[in-house]
Amino acid sequence: MSRKGFSLSCIIINILMILVSASTLLPFLLALVVSFSDERSVLLKGYTFTPDYLTLEAYKFVLSDKLIYNAYAVTIFVTVVGTTISVFICSMAGYAMSVQKLKHRNKFAMYFYIPMVFQVSLVPWYLVISQVFMLKNTILALILPILVSPFNLFLVRNYFKSIPASMAESAEIDGATPFTTFVKIMLPLAKPIIATITLFISLRYWNDYVLALWFVEKKEIQPVQFILFKIRSLVQYMQSNRHRGSQNIPSETVQMATLFVTIGPIILLYPFLQKYFIKGIMIGAVKG
Amino acid sequence: MFRKSDLWKNRHLYLMILPAALVIFCFSYLPMPGSIIAFKDYNFSDGIWRSPWVGFDNFKFYFTSGYLWRTTKNTICINLLYIFFGTISAVTFAIMLNEVRNKFARKLYQNIMFLPYFLSMVVVAQFVELLFSDRFGLINNILSRLGFNPVDWYISPQYWRQIIAGTTIWKSVGYTVIIYLAAITSIDNELFEASALDGAKRWQEIYYIMIPMLVPTIVTLVLLEIGTIFFGNFQLIYAIVKNSHGALYETIDVIDTYVFRALRDNVNFSASSAAGLYQSVMGFIVVCGSNFLVKLYNKDYALF
Repeated sequence: MSRKGFSLSCIIINILMILVSASTLLPFLLALVVSFSDERSVLLKGYTFTPDYLTLEAYKFVLSDKLIYNAYAVTIFVTVVGTTISVFICSMAGYAMSVQKLKHRNKFAMYFYIPMVFQVSLVPWYLVISQVFMLKNTILALILPILVSPFNLFLVRNYFKSIPASMAESAEIDGATPFTTFVKIMLPLAKPIIATITLFISLRYWNDYVLALWFVEKKEIQPVQFILFKIRSLVQYMQSNRHRGSQNIPSETVQMATLFVTIGPIILLYPFLQKYFIKGIMIGAVKG
Repeated sequence: MFRKSDLWKNRHLYLMILPAALVIFCFSYLPMPGSIIAFKDYNFSDGIWRSPWVGFDNFKFYFTSGYLWRTTKNTICINLLYIFFGTISAVTFAIMLNEVRNKFARKLYQNIMFLPYFLSMVVVAQFVELLFSDRFGLINNILSRLGFNPVDWYISPQYWRQIIAGTTIWKSVGYTVIIYLAAITSIDNELFEASALDGAKRWQEIYYIMIPMLVPTIVTLVLLEIGTIFFGNFQLIYAIVKNSHGALYETIDVIDTYVFRALRDNVNFSASSAAGLYQSVMGFIVVCGSNFLVKLYNKDYALF
């Protein structure tokens, strides 16, 4: 290949990739600018990159209401508790199902496959959660329904299958129970896959708003994503909390400020975590 | 006798499966018999079991009201748009990324493309509003500055299948690019060296070696996506439409949103449960079919 042709195509590819990256980042930047704009210039000029002047009004409005702190506490609680339990029981079951000597392990595999293939319809699902388990308006409704994902379970099982069984067997000859073997020996060996499912599960909990949509009406247990979903009507509510009358509601800019408050942690953690996600996708893609 | 059985000998291991199995039982198996609600005239006082049977009446309503056709068509159309254009863009971006020689630039592009994957659908829906809002949106701003008439996007359903599919691609393409990029790097380098010796140009190598070598991955991923073709992107669509843009339902009311609205807004158990069961059964058939094809094609990628 000629050098000149090579460098020309190289430039073209870089330009195209820059365009793709720019169009990915465009909404982020626009939202950021709008969140720092003053409400009047948004009402006059629409969402632009060039507002009349910049202000912290919207962030002050959001951060001065206890609603958002409360929602944050709910989201953090749900994410931490949900992820911890989920990772623990998924990896425990995944390990047990990888043990060759377990006679019925394939029956259990089948048991976990079926819900992946036949997704139960939403109405009985809703009725069971709300009428049988009475989880409506409890924080458990935000945790339990997505606690076990068979997909993650199989990811773990396949990983454990690749670890030689002799590791566990030698520990059990020394008198360890399967559970201690799992916690002390197998779990540390499976660090990469555990890290992966931890990240994916916590992202799932952090970003969910549908469970709150189905099951939660009480304001005290609404997570941040749900607050963001309802922000337009909530701005009026927040305004009325402050006895300032209902005119001049900064709903456009507050919406964007709340958006950044909810994605802030993700953007901050992203540079450190993305490589683990990428590794995780590779593990999942090899056999998923 | 029992003490010698596998169940007793390995009771610790079985106990370790139990918590996960229990959760799955509660939230996946327990609701399953409840699916018969689709054949009943459900009322709260009688509950699922004692409500009277009505045979296929609930389905009749779903069918004759035109909703079955509308929701099915929308679900499949949006998914097909997504699968087709999503695959093309993911493969193209992966190949282009692979051609970027500067390692730092390549990482940067890849990480930027992957970023939207981490957003919740509520955030994505707000981004959509930033661009398409009738009054304030960036696109209408640009249109009117260029002298065109602004478009009332949120009351013009004809654009929204494309917008939904496009948004889904925007959000997920970084993820699929990673998979295709991994497939590209696993291609044996000798193939490229041999072709370079024969004087092949780079685009020829891409066209005659790289793309054919990617076909197995493409086919597998597409088949897996076809497996979920009866399931719409509820999280995104509902976050866009909320309660305020009902006009858009004409083209983007998918089965999932219909089930939800029938239950939540109208407390119409019969229509909702019929649609839900219809979705489960069709989803089951399609996923089995697509998995069968994956198995024929490449055993390693089969789901079961």
